[in-house]
Amino acid sequence: MSEESNIASDQILPGHSGDGFVDEPPLVAGNLSFHDVTEMVSLHTEKKTPTAWLGAFALANVGLLLLGVMVAYLFWNGTGVWGLNNPVGWGYAIVNFVFWVGIGHAGTLISAILYLFRQQWRTAINRSAEAMTIFAVICALLFPGIHVGRVWVAYWMLPIPNQMEMWPQFKSPLLWDVFAVSVYFTVSLIFWYVGLVPDLATLRDRAKSGIRRRILGFLSMGWSGANRHWRNYEKAYLLLAALATPLVLSVHSVVSFDFAVSVIPGWHTTIFPPYFVAGAIFSGFAMVVTLLVVARKVYSLQNIITINHLEKMNIIILLTGTMVGFAYITEFFIAWYSGVEYEQYAFLNRATGPYAWAYWTMMTCNLVFPQFFWNKKLRRNIPFMFGLSIIVNIGMWFERFVITVTSLHRDYLPSSWDYYTPTWVDVLTLVGSFGLFFTLFLLFLRFAPMVAMAEVKLVMPESDPHYYDRAHAEPKSH
Amino acid sequence: MSNSVKTNSLSLWILDPLRPTAQYAREAFRPDGKVMAWFIPAGIGVALLVVSGVGWATNAKQFYFSYLVGWAFCLSLALGSLFFVLIHHLTKAKWSIVVRRIPEALIWSFPLLAILTIPILFGMHDLFHWTHHEIYDPASPQYDPILAGKQGYLNTTFFIIRLVVYFTAWTFIAHRLYTVSLRQDVDDDVSAGARMRKVSAVGLVLTAVTTAFASYDILMSLDPHWFSTIFGVYFFAASFLTAHALIALIVITIQRNRGLRGVITKEHFHDLGKMMFGFTVFWAYIAFSQYMLIWYGNLPEETLWYRHRLEHGWEYHSAALLVAHFIIPFWVLLPRAAKRSIPVMSFMAVWFLIMNWFDFHWIAMPVLHGDHAGFHWLDFTCWLGLFGVFLAFVMYRLGRHSLVPQNDPHLGKSLNFTNI
Repeated sequence: MSEESNIASDQILPGHSGDGFVDEPPLVAGNLSFHDVTEMVSLHTEKKTPTAWLGAFALANVGLLLLGVMVAYLFWNGTGVWGLNNPVGWGYAIVNFVFWVGIGHAGTLISAILYLFRQQWRTAINRSAEAMTIFAVICALLFPGIHVGRVWVAYWMLPIPNQMEMWPQFKSPLLWDVFAVSVYFTVSLIFWYVGLVPDLATLRDRAKSGIRRRILGFLSMGWSGANRHWRNYEKAYLLLAALATPLVLSVHSVVSFDFAVSVIPGWHTTIFPPYFVAGAIFSGFAMVVTLLVVARKVYSLQNIITINHLEKMNIIILLTGTMVGFAYITEFFIAWYSGVEYEQYAFLNRATGPYAWAYWTMMTCNLVFPQFFWNKKLRRNIPFMFGLSIIVNIGMWFERFVITVTSLHRDYLPSSWDYYTPTWVDVLTLVGSFGLFFTLFLLFLRFAPMVAMAEVKLVMPESDPHYYDRAHAEPKSH
Repeated sequence: MSNSVKTNSLSLWILDPLRPTAQYAREAFRPDGKVMAWFIPAGIGVALLVVSGVGWATNAKQFYFSYLVGWAFCLSLALGSLFFVLIHHLTKAKWSIVVRRIPEALIWSFPLLAILTIPILFGMHDLFHWTHHEIYDPASPQYDPILAGKQGYLNTTFFIIRLVVYFTAWTFIAHRLYTVSLRQDVDDDVSAGARMRKVSAVGLVLTAVTTAFASYDILMSLDPHWFSTIFGVYFFAASFLTAHALIALIVITIQRNRGLRGVITKEHFHDLGKMMFGFTVFWAYIAFSQYMLIWYGNLPEETLWYRHRLEHGWEYHSAALLVAHFIIPFWVLLPRAAKRSIPVMSFMAVWFLIMNWFDFHWIAMPVLHGDHAGFHWLDFTCWLGLFGVFLAFVMYRLGRHSLVPQNDPHLGKSLNFTNI
């Protein structure tokens, strides 16, 4: 590979601390073999459906049903059933849309950016995080779709040539959203599926029944693990990672444009794109922690998704939470510095006005609480991180609520000021969207390999072609 | 902590806080005395600064603006390097260990840069409109109610206090990172990594906050009416990108003089190139976000700043920034082969350094010459003079110590690093 020989390598004395063979804790704990990994992951797709899963699935279905009822009720009556009023034309639907798109970002960051940065620990969590991305984006896409009012012409959002020569408004960031989110969904889905192929082939080879083998055989596209297959696979994976990396930044930037291109104080500020991206990664990682803390326990995957993995995610939560907090403070400072009285009022109103409760909920959950993760004991404490991950997601939902509602409820004309209160339809639609999300996620847990087996094996020490030579020569190492 | 590495006397402290340790360096990492020709940039730098002094006598206002741009350029290199070291410690990066000594030498530039602030303090009245007293006097025809509202932040005393706070913070963080790493070369202290990580965690927060506010103070407040919340991120993006360029360039210079050959390989250049590529895109993303949102909102208090940069010839500078800071580097650095080619990498490193200066020139100069774009000879002499002195200090430091953190426990991984 390297054209020059490393003349400096012999400057390192064997056994000296610089020899580069310092033992690091292995990513996979419990001395598992390759076969153990296959068993531990595949088993859950092959065994009889557990009762607990059926219970959870039924509960999620109730939520999904609730969502269906709420959407039907909305279609029948129109958006008047929501709490929207004259200055606050965007309420829960946009809040929920941004919330769900944000959740998705962690999956793409884990699968694409951490891949490019050679963060091998990502292999244990990328499959489930990417699944979460796809399901979260589905939940997100629902909201603008039902917000349009006349849903039967929702397809007008797409630039479809028609005899009326009627086109969407290309200058509108809402249309850019349609493009950004649908591209994001497509690339995430392809990326996820490409990663799944070797694992689906593993399941196919283990399948007992003919029909199962045939379905999995179809989905694994004739994968045989041949050298050429792996070569193409690695190339496709790298290219998709490179394509998905800008998407991590672009999607939430475009979402932030929905607000920032306007001239509404509290919306129009240039830091929005990177600040939304940081917030999205923050909330997404919190959701991954919430899901995996439970999943690793229920499916006995503690040796694959180890406490070290969770700790690394918690560090990212600390980092991005602090970034988001700094962005809040920057916005506040620059609002004062701008000398624009409307800007100054908008931020003062956020902190002290009728929605101060929401503002301080957001501040506490997003800036203050993650600071507990400076403490190593707390970052490795499972009940604590579970609680904190939920607090973060509550905080991030409130961030979108604060941005959307507080900026609108008092506009330039004091005579039109109003207080926005959600209706029961708003609240139950939000609850129902969790039903949709968990229905999809439970199906994923039941039918797909929830850990990228092939990738996890690749980061185990045994995957080194010289592992067994070395193990033979020096039985101590690893 | 070992006592084998002595701290330097106070007078030389700004050059290097530690006495030389090069004698402890292993053969392949030892700096060649001749290699570190610090006196060449020093000579050129001092000569150009003397010439700039003549410019100061004839056109002080122009001198101060040119000087500020050159100084901000050097500051961005030091800050970008500080971010590099902080992030690589926190992520326990292995590939970069062999190049880490270069940014470590760069971060000890803060004491020098603090001293080089002095001319700016003398030029405050010429540089910063907000230092003028009459704009705060309601009786004066120049009274400016908007700037009067900002007086709590934009006033000379607080400005100087802030600069002191920034430089104290940066010097403190740099001192810890620099000395702990160099001491490890000699005493082989295994706890050094953990200690540097600890400093880096707090240091990253501190550096991020101070960098953002420093960018508001030094560059954004040149046009005191204008404001942009993303400005700190813009300054960070430019700094971090250019730091990679300078690191690559210094490595190439050392290798041309037969140092570090076979230690830093194409594999490491490939990674530096990837970071340069990634961050030129990131810079463009931030620059686009700032421009697009302000253009779309079209609020007079914000668009005016871009208006000044889109007329009287500055529109060519704006277009050049887009083409030369983003589009050309994007296509040049995209292929894998380019990032592994030393000629391409050295060309692009110089390119990015020039573009960073051009970027800061574009930010600062329309404040002075709103009515006609272009360059003054002082722009070049101040910039290259300051950069020469800055570089001389860096090369001098590099010549006194091992060129690689030779006792880093993961050095072997970095030496044998290959891209897949």
